[in-house]
Amino acid sequence: MTWVVWRQYRMAGAIALALLAALAAVIIVDGVQIAARWHSVLVTCAGSSACLEQQPTLVNGVVSDLPYLCLIVPAVLGMLWGAPLVAHELEARTSDFAWTQSVTRTRWLTAEAGWLLLAAAVCGGAVAALTTWWSGPINAMTGGAFAPGQFDTQGIVPIGYAVFAMALGIAAGTVFRRTLPAIAVVLGGFIGMRLVISNFLRPHYLPAVTTYYHLTSSFTPPGQAWVFAQGAVSSTGTTVAAGWGDLYPALQPACQRLLPSVAGQGKSDSLSAVFSCMQAHGWRGFATYQPAYRYWPFQGIETGIYVLLAAALVAATFVIIRRRDA
Amino acid sequence: MSAAIETHDLSKRYRRVSALTGCTVTVPEGRVCALIGPNGAGKTTLLRLLAGLAQPSGGSVAVLGGPPRQDPAFLADIGFLAQEIPLYRRFTAADHIQIGAHMNPRWDASLVRTRLTELRIPLDQRVGTLSGGQRAQVALALTLAKRPRLLLLDEPVAALDPLARRNFLATLTAAVADAEGSLTVVLSSHLVTDLERVCDHAILLAGSQVQLSGDIDTMLAEHKVLVGPRKDTGPIERAHTVVQAVTTPRQSTLLIRLGGPVIDPAYQAEDVTFEELVLAYMGAGEASASRHLTTVGEGS
Repeated sequence: MTWVVWRQYRMAGAIALALLAALAAVIIVDGVQIAARWHSVLVTCAGSSACLEQQPTLVNGVVSDLPYLCLIVPAVLGMLWGAPLVAHELEARTSDFAWTQSVTRTRWLTAEAGWLLLAAAVCGGAVAALTTWWSGPINAMTGGAFAPGQFDTQGIVPIGYAVFAMALGIAAGTVFRRTLPAIAVVLGGFIGMRLVISNFLRPHYLPAVTTYYHLTSSFTPPGQAWVFAQGAVSSTGTTVAAGWGDLYPALQPACQRLLPSVAGQGKSDSLSAVFSCMQAHGWRGFATYQPAYRYWPFQGIETGIYVLLAAALVAATFVIIRRRDA
Repeated sequence: MSAAIETHDLSKRYRRVSALTGCTVTVPEGRVCALIGPNGAGKTTLLRLLAGLAQPSGGSVAVLGGPPRQDPAFLADIGFLAQEIPLYRRFTAADHIQIGAHMNPRWDASLVRTRLTELRIPLDQRVGTLSGGQRAQVALALTLAKRPRLLLLDEPVAALDPLARRNFLATLTAAVADAEGSLTVVLSSHLVTDLERVCDHAILLAGSQVQLSGDIDTMLAEHKVLVGPRKDTGPIERAHTVVQAVTTPRQSTLLIRLGGPVIDPAYQAEDVTFEELVLAYMGAGEASASRHLTTVGEGS
């Protein structure tokens, strides 16, 4: 069966390989330049974070958007290879040829789907590896490993996305028996699932950590943490995350008087007076965040979710292929 | 002689539409069986049920000793050729030969090459660019290369011109002769004359029901055409089964299935041709879908 899959997809595979090579060439050329710029920034600033913040961004030009292009690679694979896998065989009636050779439909699907899922994982992994390497200096400078557009294009999650999109295409093509609706399902289903999981599920993979600290001191979660909220909390539980306007009504009258009369124009000494006053009245500083060391566990959890979804879709496809009339 | 195909009360429904109802037929091993019926009679449905490409809604079906199933040994014994001549249009015949070699335990690649070379069909040209007749020949050769024990062909000659049709049937006849009784063929078509030439067994389907099935010779021997004066056909109907009656003001022509010797001297009994028989049963099937099915003795 492996030879049959190879014969069916060798042209598509060659095209995919060529596109991947072109992408790699562009990313590597641009990545080398970015790394050089980052080097000179490091030399210039010599460890001063204020200096780092004033540097222009490392990326420029169209190439800077390439990692975001990589976000749609899994969906494209699912639409072009996954959706037609079963649907096109049924549309062209070649299923009547393939499924009356001396190979059971289960074995046929195992080979076809198996190789395509593997190809999706390899493509997703290759693109992710390139993007991860390219983003190294940018990650170091901007410090947002968990930021959307960084978390989803680097590490191992793109492999999970690619496997999921491929499985979704195969399953949708099997259910609808037509390629076009299956392609629409991949596009809608993939984008929908990504939005739901990254917005509603990802922040809760592990319970967030809350650190309380003296208002008179400052606190920054170490490393590239994912900060959900930071501010002050009173002894009665009132929280103020940001903005003087919110702070004023929550404060005790004694502290209210210390606030700068016009928002945003306070001097730092008057601010520290406010903080001291708040501290004296039972306020504490707090920060709720996912610590930086959870980056890889989060990558693993998210990849696992998508791989499990893909496994469920593939299992459903096997049941349908076996039971339903060809 | 064992049965290659045995169905009992087999039925298939697609949602609410009944495609096949109460189908009970037996095809002994080694026969070439014609599956005849008008469009929509259930021919394709029956063939797909036999090949295991569709699941029955009711009744039972045994093919080569067991129900059609997803099992490499069973699949290896079945050669199925669908009406649409399903081939990968962008692959060449040579590609298909290699695909077959990778998907079948006993694959006779030289058989396909020899047959296609004889027919001057290029092996290295995309199948989609071949003519309809050439494509059908490629598909038949590929199906035969599996060395199946049961060949199921769905309207294989429908799209072919007379010459291509003759070549196709010649290939089929040669394959049956080569197999020396170990190959059973079921061939659906509505071209009765073609079928009579190659088949020795027949199943007549109309209105999703079996009208008649059995050996063609037995069928012909068991039916007569009676031509006589127009009169009360009651005595005839009591002794025989009238399949079709055509009356003019002066005479009646009755196609009957014999229930015994014809003793009324007023009627002249003539032999029936296969085509007359088929048309009579097709007409009867159209007229009353509720006609009970009839099975002629298997003669074996």
